[in-house]
Amino acid sequence: MTAILELDGLTRTFGGLRAVDNVTTQVNQGELFGLIGPNGAGKTTLFNLISGFTPPSSGEVRFKGERITGLSAHKIAHKGMSRTFQNLRVFPNMTVFDNISVGALGMIGVGPFSSLWGGKARAREISERSWEMLEKVGLADHADDLAANLSYGKRKYLEIARALAMKPDLLILDEPAAGMNDSETTELAEFITDLNKSGLTVMLVEHDMGLVMGICERLVVLASGQKIADDVPKVVRQDPGVLEAYLGGDD
Amino acid sequence: MSKSRLIKLGLIILVFALVPAILVGFDKGYYYQIATIAAIFMLLAASLHLVTGVAGLLHLGHAALYGVGAYVAAILGAEYGIGFTIGVPLAGLSAAAIAFLVALPTMRLMSIYFAVATLGIGQMLFLIFQNWVGLTKGPNGVMLFSGLNLFGFEIDTDLGIYYVVASIVALSILVLNRLSHSYYGNALRSLREDDQCASAMGINVTVMKIQAFVISSFFAGIAGALWAYTTGYISPNDFQFSQSILILTMVVVGGLGSLPGALIGALLLIILPEMLRSVGDIRNIIVGVMMFGAILFLPKGLFGEVSALNFARRMLGQGWAAKKGEKGIGWK
Amino acid sequence: MFDPYILQQLAIGLSLGMIYALMAIGFTLIFGVLNVVNFAHGEVYTIGAFAGLMAISAFGPPLLVVLFIALAAGAFAGFSLERLAFSPFRRFSDEASLKSRAMREATLMSSLAMSIIAREAMEMIFGSQFQSVDLAYLINKPINIGPITIVNGDLIIFAVTLIMLGGLQWLLKKSPIGLSIRAVSNNALGAKYCGINTDRTIIITFVIGSGMGALAGILVGLYYGAIFPAMGFAPGIKAFVAMVMGGLSSIPGAVISAIILGLSESLSTSFMSSVWSDMVAYGFLLLTLIFFPQGLFGARRDRV
Ligand SMILES: Nc1ncnc2c1ncn2[C@@H]1O[C@H](COP(=O)(O)OP(=O)(O)O)[C@@H](O)[C@H]1O
Ligand SMILES: [Mg+2]
Repeated sequence: MTAILELDGLTRTFGGLRAVDNVTTQVNQGELFGLIGPNGAGKTTLFNLISGFTPPSSGEVRFKGERITGLSAHKIAHKGMSRTFQNLRVFPNMTVFDNISVGALGMIGVGPFSSLWGGKARAREISERSWEMLEKVGLADHADDLAANLSYGKRKYLEIARALAMKPDLLILDEPAAGMNDSETTELAEFITDLNKSGLTVMLVEHDMGLVMGICERLVVLASGQKIADDVPKVVRQDPGVLEAYLGGDD
Repeated sequence: MSKSRLIKLGLIILVFALVPAILVGFDKGYYYQIATIAAIFMLLAASLHLVTGVAGLLHLGHAALYGVGAYVAAILGAEYGIGFTIGVPLAGLSAAAIAFLVALPTMRLMSIYFAVATLGIGQMLFLIFQNWVGLTKGPNGVMLFSGLNLFGFEIDTDLGIYYVVASIVALSILVLNRLSHSYYGNALRSLREDDQCASAMGINVTVMKIQAFVISSFFAGIAGALWAYTTGYISPNDFQFSQSILILTMVVVGGLGSLPGALIGALLLIILPEMLRSVGDIRNIIVGVMMFGAILFLPKGLFGEVSALNFARRMLGQGWAAKKGEKGIGWK
Repeated sequence: MFDPYILQQLAIGLSLGMIYALMAIGFTLIFGVLNVVNFAHGEVYTIGAFAGLMAISAFGPPLLVVLFIALAAGAFAGFSLERLAFSPFRRFSDEASLKSRAMREATLMSSLAMSIIAREAMEMIFGSQFQSVDLAYLINKPINIGPITIVNGDLIIFAVTLIMLGGLQWLLKKSPIGLSIRAVSNNALGAKYCGINTDRTIIITFVIGSGMGALAGILVGLYYGAIFPAMGFAPGIKAFVAMVMGGLSSIPGAVISAIILGLSESLSTSFMSSVWSDMVAYGFLLLTLIFFPQGLFGARRDRV
């Protein structure tokens, strides 16, 4: 098994707070990898370190064997990593189709001159890829609606579709099931599993165990910034340290 | 003929046959003057639309870059004998170059801080127009006696000047139309909506913002050159802060993010004060009242972004349809 | 030891800085509670000057009364401004929309529009020319101190600014109103949940800040004898620059920066023509924004 993402002693402090504390782990090619931990454990911060939104205080991130620590977010995106946000960040005043197209155009590339002259082929590629993703998440009927007018659940799928339009090698989802009811969560779990089966490496963050335990192949548990477990769900479930982190925490 | 062809043909007829026919019919210098000024301000509004409406950078110094274009054209024409044909593109390029220098350090600034930085830069350029007497002749302004000589042809009739200005403005707006109604426009819009999120999509936010700012300033510079050549005299007051606000108001009243809106706003804010001339010089107060009214009561503007994009996609045929015969949703 | 000319310029610069400080405080208070730029602050300054002028020509009251009338006019202008240009954009009171870009940019433009309307209205009423001010009221009686000459206006400006600053410190630190202003500045939503009437606090902040701005207006009007509708534009920008240099939400920072600005502007005239002196302020503005996004004293919490 080859690692697609390797974290090596990754640490980030905010003032005195060690939000992510010396985390070392790896995500393997093709894996459905889960990251859980109580609220405030540092999961989002870890994601921000990986995707280049926050520079680490120390440690290293390697993606496909290449060191990406300190690269800016857009460069990391171009290397094949794509992410969603915990607090849903769609582009509210753009249509659903246009939202997704941003994912595609970032990778395919647009410029002022190519949009004036000779960019027809690229425009077609962006259009077709966006449409493909739109159908994949079942939002084709809403292609022309403003993203702001979608329901919460649909906006979640929109955000995932936009990330998929980048054709990433690694997809990072930050609490995709937050705010969803049980049946919606089950549906989402199925969707993510299907994505993974089609060959995409997925890294999934949740703060409650339900979704992750069910579908992930491997889990890392974070508490107060530190990795306290790293194993298959069955083992992690029985880990006394993990139970204590969850029961002792505010969750 | 398809609907989009008809509309395009209609617009061409309007600009190049109908308006000139009306102008010739009235045959008054004053009407020609209004038509040219309206065209120039339509270009200014359309170019500001790209930075402020599409890319979402609140820009309070557009008039200063317009001024750079005007001064470059006027000084080249009056002192160095460089005529219209070379002067106009050089004016655009100079404004773009200055915009690039300005943009490098300021593009990191967010929202209102960017707005205030552009205000500061606009005022600095204004101080240069006003006080660097050796270069700009200071408050006296620059006279440009050389006529409008296009590729060796002397254009000296009012109608001829109208045609030259209208053609350059129409061509520029066509370019701006393509930039904002394309996937490039989508990329700029994503910066406006959430630039951090756009960077996660692989968009180089700083480069994109600089591009938008520079392109917009290029067209402001062209507009400035047209202003210098059509009025024959420029002075610092043509490019002061209140002019930046005038252009901004055009864009806001028409609808932020809407190119047709910006053009309508420009027409409205040029023609309305002229029609109300008898009441006195109330242009500025109209600007204030319209800006306030638009922000409070008409936040989407007269021709909002959503309708504008639909118009471009469906009526002008710029949209990409997923299946044959379906309505356009993406961009061609 | 010192060239008397430099000393003279320092004295002038200090007065100038005090005036900018009076205005910058208003800006800073308002930015503190709302996180927005009030573009009409310069017009409040003009309104103060015109209110004082009208009082003088109507019934020639003593100077202190003139100052109070300007203060009251400014307070009223601040109240109206808040109601017209700011409150309509606070329809939603959640954290996100209180600090949203849309709200900040909409109020920036609405206050800009209000400033245009106010200035143009004054021009229509009074004309754009300098107004003549009763000479007896001008605060430019020379006073010799050693080698330099100052005017009584310098002393008056100095005294008024100190009194206002002291009063403001007392108000902010000791009074319930000050407590609520500080609470809203720190965390508007939290303050609301603690039962503080944020709307009322914001209005009071505008009233206080605008009163001080108007006071600056009449002082300058009587100092230079120059009262005209467009007089507020430049000082408004300079006060804003002082606020940015001070770190946006720090009153001491704004006051110190305002004085630095006044002194540099005044000293700059000794090596370049005074028409360029505005460059100093714009230069400071850009340098601060670009190189010191935390303000010169590092107080900002905001992403610039
Ligand atoms: N930009 C920041 N500045 C200061 N503290 C932060 C910042 N981002 C996160 N934190 C702190 O880091 C800790 C971890 O936060 P986060 O990564 O969001 O946790 P999770 O996603 O696991 O709920 C929290 O205590 C949070 O307050
Ligand atoms: Mg989180």
